[in-house]
Amino acid sequence: MPHRRQLLSVSAVLVVLAVIGLVARGLVFGIEFQGGTEIDFRDTGSVTIEQMRGALVDAGEKDPTVQTSVTDGKAGFLVRSDTTDPNTANQHASAAAKALSLASDSYTVTTIGPDWGANVTRSSALAFGVAILLIIAFVSIRYEFKMSITAVVALLHDLVITLGVYAWTQTAITPNVVAALLTIMGYSLYDTVVEFNRVNENAKGLHDGVHRTYYQIANFSINEVIVRTINTSITSLVPVACMLALGGATLKDFAFAMLVGEVLGTYSSFAVASPLLAIWKTREPKWAKLEAKYGDGSTKVKPAAGEAE
Amino acid sequence: MKDGKEPQDGATGIDRWRKSEGKGEGRSKSRPRRKRGHRMGAHVRRYVSTLVVLVVVLGVCVFGFTPLSERITQGLDIRGGVSVIMTAKTSDGGTPSAEQMQEATSIVQQRVNSLGSSETTVQQQGSDSILIQIPGATNADEAIKTIGQTGHLEFVRLDDIGDADALAKLDAGTEDVELKDGTYEAFMDGSHITQVTVAQASNSATGTYAVNIKLDDEGTKDFAEVTKELAPTNGRIAIVLDGVVKSAPAVQSEISTGEVSITGNFSLDDANSLKTVLDSGSLPVTLTYSESRVVGPTLGQDSLTQGITAIIVGVAIVVVYLFVFYRGLGLLTLGSLGVFAVLYLGLLALLSHFGAFALTLPGLAGMVLTTGSAADSSILVLERFREEIRMGRSVKNSSVSGAKHGIMTSLDADAVTLVTAIALFAFAVGPVKGFGLTLALGIACDVVTMFCFKAPALRLLALGTIERHPKFWGVDQDLAEAARRKEEKLGKGGVANA
Repeated sequence: MPHRRQLLSVSAVLVVLAVIGLVARGLVFGIEFQGGTEIDFRDTGSVTIEQMRGALVDAGEKDPTVQTSVTDGKAGFLVRSDTTDPNTANQHASAAAKALSLASDSYTVTTIGPDWGANVTRSSALAFGVAILLIIAFVSIRYEFKMSITAVVALLHDLVITLGVYAWTQTAITPNVVAALLTIMGYSLYDTVVEFNRVNENAKGLHDGVHRTYYQIANFSINEVIVRTINTSITSLVPVACMLALGGATLKDFAFAMLVGEVLGTYSSFAVASPLLAIWKTREPKWAKLEAKYGDGSTKVKPAAGEAE
Repeated sequence: MKDGKEPQDGATGIDRWRKSEGKGEGRSKSRPRRKRGHRMGAHVRRYVSTLVVLVVVLGVCVFGFTPLSERITQGLDIRGGVSVIMTAKTSDGGTPSAEQMQEATSIVQQRVNSLGSSETTVQQQGSDSILIQIPGATNADEAIKTIGQTGHLEFVRLDDIGDADALAKLDAGTEDVELKDGTYEAFMDGSHITQVTVAQASNSATGTYAVNIKLDDEGTKDFAEVTKELAPTNGRIAIVLDGVVKSAPAVQSEISTGEVSITGNFSLDDANSLKTVLDSGSLPVTLTYSESRVVGPTLGQDSLTQGITAIIVGVAIVVVYLFVFYRGLGLLTLGSLGVFAVLYLGLLALLSHFGAFALTLPGLAGMVLTTGSAADSSILVLERFREEIRMGRSVKNSSVSGAKHGIMTSLDADAVTLVTAIALFAFAVGPVKGFGLTLALGIACDVVTMFCFKAPALRLLALGTIERHPKFWGVDQDLAEAARRKEEKLGKGGVANA
């Protein structure tokens, strides 16, 4: 908590960077949302990106976006285009594979029709909205009002920065990414709430004579739960990181979102949510008085009896 | 007893799952019961009986899910194949009726069957979509083409085709020549066909096939008229499906009976695919592609292997980390993860058996995520347990209230995740549903593991061995901390009294 200004400044800078990224570079949406074709070529050996593009254009694909990708240590390509007819898309893919003498089962082709994309967008937005609202409702019922508001602010902070990361890295947002983010948002919100719970408990019952102001109590509480928070984050992150390192395209989609979301969620629970809560709570008369009295970080010890309330 | 035996459980993967079963048995005969039975009898009996029941359930699970690759259904993105969702609309763009959908589904089913692959599924999804899955389809191009033939069937005289380019192509024998709207005029459409059959061509000894069509009265009349005009010159009739010429047989003689036989060195496959084209002439709705996924058969298996490797490596690192951090208590986490995994796989196998589950890649991601949170809930319990020891409670009391508080916290976390999982399962469309499902199932298994393994096992251990070997179980520092605090308090108290 002594570093609250620095931590909040870091977050503010990150949010500003994220917003700049969102405005300047914009988000890339996967074909699932807008219709189009994605071809995932694997194990393409020494084929270059120009060769791949050339082969696709020769096959009749208009203006495909070709990116290199690595799966399982082997080179491959990820191709996106506007083609919404699976017949055409598959013919183009197999023609390109033939031209580059790649195996006929070395690629996957996903084609989404334009109407379906709108459908997916609608249902993803609905799932996202409903889940966020339900989580917030759950937290509000279960915990104090100020806590739920602060926790939600921290959540928005995570969300904006995550979207910023997606904008800066120009990683495509797919329904899988939305699902992963949503789950991680739930986790991070929960991390925050666990911490708040501890703060609450300590604010009521901690009369050790050392921690008196809300800042001191919040700080003490963070120290109490931080080992736990870090350990649980590590145990969740390790499998996810393995998935990012070893998995193919779909698993990487999930893993990247989870990794970014989880790191931010853990960070924000003590670097954003707790300081904000402490600042807000300190405005309450009771805590303001204690802050005025003990706020300069004094450690003078008074008998416990002096704190009777 | 456990000190010597259990560290051997540090094997990986399935071995560990199996062994965790054995471990449970070891505990069920746990010594503390005999030693301290007179004091904690009822509790101990409850813990032990919970564990025994659990072991039986785990045994059933292991039996149920072995061998894994057969017992857990794999989704198309893992098995490889073609998966297509088509959305139906009536000709005026409206939503089709339930009857029309049924008819459309069965026609699509026929088309898919004509591809000859086994295990295909054609299901109606929602009110206006049809999901078609062809596992292991080797010729994706053809499969997709066949499924998508949406069926406006027309019969056109070649001399009624105005497009010179198209005619030239037809003469050259090009397949699937496209005719532009307005450049041709049909003399009959597919609605006059009453029956289509495939039979061996009667006038051929080489084993080729013919497609036989029966026409209704009006069709018979039209066809007779046209064939009468065309027969002398062996003029051709183009069979046009959705503007694409599928076949353009030459008329051999006048056909006035309404029974048309199309021959032309067809193999059985050729004939069947032409039959499918003709069948689809009566489709009551138009179908458009909504989603099509084509996965090479080996690629899907690769993805699965990668996913499983990721899980195994991830879990192994987590377990090592937990052993370093919690020492002996890491065994409890290891055991919990083992119990969790066995229950989870058992549940998935059960659902697979009833056709309610198929493992997809998003589902696999959900499994990785819940495995992480299963480890989380162990940490919550262990941290709380050690914290209570530091606060000066006895090991035994700490185990009771630590497990209780830890589980409460985990339940809150699980509730939040469950909300997400259910929202995804209920509202999202497409493969994300699988993620929601495995997430929700994982949470269920985690909750069962907490109550039926973690809590009783920790409490049983706390009755004896943890107190006797605090260093092995990694609680020596917490005990020291408790002692230090006690001393401090005493010292402080002394000052206050003075």
